[in-house]
Amino acid sequence: MPSLLLEIGCEELPAGACREAEAQLPELARAHIGTAPSQLFVGPRRLAFLIDDLPEQTADLWVKGPPENLRDRAAAGFAKKHGVAVDELELRDGFLGVTVPGRELREVLPEQIDRIVRGFSFTKSMRWDESGIRFARPVRWVLAKLDAETIVGETSYGHRFTHGTVEIPTAAAYADALRAADVEPVADERRRLIVEGLEAIGGWSDPGGKLAEVVHLVEKPMVLEGHFDERFLQLPERVIVTTMQSHQRYFPIEGNRFALVANGGDPDVVGPGHTQVLEARLEDASFTFERDVAAGIDALAERLAAITFFAGAGSFAEKAERVAKLVERLGGGDASLEAARLAKADQASELVREFPELEGYIGAEYARLAGYPDAVTKAIEEQYLPDASGGLLPQTEPGKVLAAADKLDTLRVAFELGHKPSGSRDPYGLRRAAIGLVRLALEGGLTIDRELLPEELREFVEERLESLLDVPVEYVRAARASNVPDLGGVARRAEELYRERESPEFEGVYTAYDRAHRLAGKAQEEAAAQLDRGLLVEDAERELAETLAKVAIDGNGDIKAALESGAELAPVMERFFDEVLVMAEDEAVRANRLRLLLDVRDTLGALGDFSQIPR
Amino acid sequence: MIIALERYWADYGCVLMQPYHTELAAGTMNPNTFLRCLGPKPWNVAYVEPVIRPLDGRYGENPFRFQHYFQYQVVLKPAPENVLDLYWSSLEALGIDLRRHDMRLVEDDWEQPTLGAWGLGWEVWCDGMEITQWTYFQQLGGFDVELVPAEMTYGLERLAMFLQGKRTAFELEWAPGVTWGDVYLEAEREWSRYNFEEAPVDVLTRRFGEYEAECRHLLESGLPIPAYDQVLKCSHTFNLLDARGALSVTERAAYIGRVRKLARGVAEAYLGMQEEDAVAAA
Repeated sequence: MPSLLLEIGCEELPAGACREAEAQLPELARAHIGTAPSQLFVGPRRLAFLIDDLPEQTADLWVKGPPENLRDRAAAGFAKKHGVAVDELELRDGFLGVTVPGRELREVLPEQIDRIVRGFSFTKSMRWDESGIRFARPVRWVLAKLDAETIVGETSYGHRFTHGTVEIPTAAAYADALRAADVEPVADERRRLIVEGLEAIGGWSDPGGKLAEVVHLVEKPMVLEGHFDERFLQLPERVIVTTMQSHQRYFPIEGNRFALVANGGDPDVVGPGHTQVLEARLEDASFTFERDVAAGIDALAERLAAITFFAGAGSFAEKAERVAKLVERLGGGDASLEAARLAKADQASELVREFPELEGYIGAEYARLAGYPDAVTKAIEEQYLPDASGGLLPQTEPGKVLAAADKLDTLRVAFELGHKPSGSRDPYGLRRAAIGLVRLALEGGLTIDRELLPEELREFVEERLESLLDVPVEYVRAARASNVPDLGGVARRAEELYRERESPEFEGVYTAYDRAHRLAGKAQEEAAAQLDRGLLVEDAERELAETLAKVAIDGNGDIKAALESGAELAPVMERFFDEVLVMAEDEAVRANRLRLLLDVRDTLGALGDFSQIPR
Repeated sequence: MIIALERYWADYGCVLMQPYHTELAAGTMNPNTFLRCLGPKPWNVAYVEPVIRPLDGRYGENPFRFQHYFQYQVVLKPAPENVLDLYWSSLEALGIDLRRHDMRLVEDDWEQPTLGAWGLGWEVWCDGMEITQWTYFQQLGGFDVELVPAEMTYGLERLAMFLQGKRTAFELEWAPGVTWGDVYLEAEREWSRYNFEEAPVDVLTRRFGEYEAECRHLLESGLPIPAYDQVLKCSHTFNLLDARGALSVTERAAYIGRVRKLARGVAEAYLGMQEEDAVAAA
């Protein structure tokens, strides 16, 4: 059976489009050719696949017509539509229909290939001529080979500047023919060649994750090493690295060395050319850096009143004030207060306007150059941590406080403005901020008062606990309803409840809570507003009230002691239910007894909402 | 260099035009691109455009950023199938050996919110230096283009630095014995001061309103081409206000919205005029 090669030749596709196409190619081949490709070729100037062992005939197609019982009314029309006589119609499973015989593969390929070309869907697509086709960039040729036979198009094309047209002798020889024309069509192979080249130089790094893009920026990777003038080493390291990576997609090596991946050319011309461009960029960065330093971090901080934090949320100067107040609420000391004042100053710097990814880092650098102590500069640098799921937390105390205050402020302001994330829409990164905040409490040991979180926000933040804690969600939900005053305490409470779940004290408290809640929870409206001791007539209910008065549950205290204290209620409750009829005839007595039970529930409820925990 | 480009694109059949007579922030804003790219009539054009970007001024202290520099603008409408090859040959006409250099097309999509315009394309890299902005227009003035034009905007200072092997634009040889710095450095200093410090905010604010009103009036009078000049004046006035730091983020967005609305009105009127012409011709 023959092999089919389809190549769609394009003007240079963006790396993102290459990845989208790579994901869609197999399904498009299956849908329109009927067989999945054995190999994909994806790169900036061509999207291609090879299918082995393709049947020469397409499969017969059964076209279902009207049900047999409508033969008299509908059969003639259906038969006519398909160009057959009524008595030629076949019967299958109670339906009439026709079998459309499979066609010669070479006959159907041109139209199926056209469907494939039109079948891609890119995040950003364009028109370029009257064909009506939309694609990420213009399609300039299509070539289809069935073994040695050319079905669509004429030739392929080699490297843009070293080779013109390339004859592809057979479908299977596609990759080799292109390799002879300075094109490596297999993305993984280009990646391998690039990594091999980088390894040969050694010591390379890719903090900005540019490799995946570079693979699709070249057809013939050539890895070169460059050295820039050492005077630029005076710049902070991350400024150098960001200049290399974000504009030029170079790979930093230590000192003044870097590696670049070119798409061919004369190494003696290309290497020095790139080096000169990098030096020009570094010159530009130095200029900007020096201007910022000359202005100084305090002057930058004063410019914040003119920069909006986000629409409706005031300026960065106002944000800095709010953050400072929150730092105080979180118990931060002088270093974190000073850091809060300077934390956003770099938003007014020219360097951050150029490289937003340097925020925090460069502010810390400017503060250091202005003579601020390490505790302050470190906190400024750490304010955005943790910046990724599982990312590093701030290591210093002022850093933790500032990071928490900054996140708290963003969350509070965004929620106040009604920007609660919905579905995948989270333009202000509130989920990440909430997770960061929770981790600062859990792992960072910060005490964050739950009072700082208004109701809707508290729910949003505490929901993050459910996925962060290694405890069944029911225990987290139970703990969230407790009277624990701070975020970290909620987590500890959830863990404690879970740990104690099989102890006799837990059992006692759980049962007392459960019985009180089951009976009185639904009759809340009938219950008296307050317990009237004068209405307690039976011994058992008096004993319950007395025991309840002695129960002491400290939200922040030792769970063991609290459970022990609460568990005292268990036997008393048992006696109460044995001897006392809650639903007494006398309305006042009944209301009083319901109140007593609700008081039991609510007192124990300070430990958590036990009704969340299934038994 | 400019002469070589002029000759190359004239030989191809482009109409050679001269720079426009009012401040533009990009060659794209010249009516020879913006207006001519609307509608169904083919149009090939090439011209030098001095661009004015008040915010990019650096008092002549930065060797790579200026508030005034030059673009060479080529528009082929509709884009012929071999348009990229034509472009590469133009670089060869400048003496660049494409086989010896690392030439690349790196994704760079273009958007001009004040003109309601966008397109997809690349920045062209020559050994890592961006020498051209390359765009297939998709929308102008908020309208889908009928024939997709290809726009090639050569950065002339960058190209000249590359060809002359100079590390700063100031050192470029403008003419024998005369550098770019000799010609433009003092102007950069003075204009930067004007743009950032001296431009009168109240006067500019008033002028913006006047240009805007005049644009509307001209549109009502069925004069889209003079109306477009008012859009350009609005746009430049807005850029000056922006450089003066006179606009908050919300105000900024509002000004952009006002200019875009005018540009859309002009595009609509211009398209209407072309349709009338077509009907009259038929």
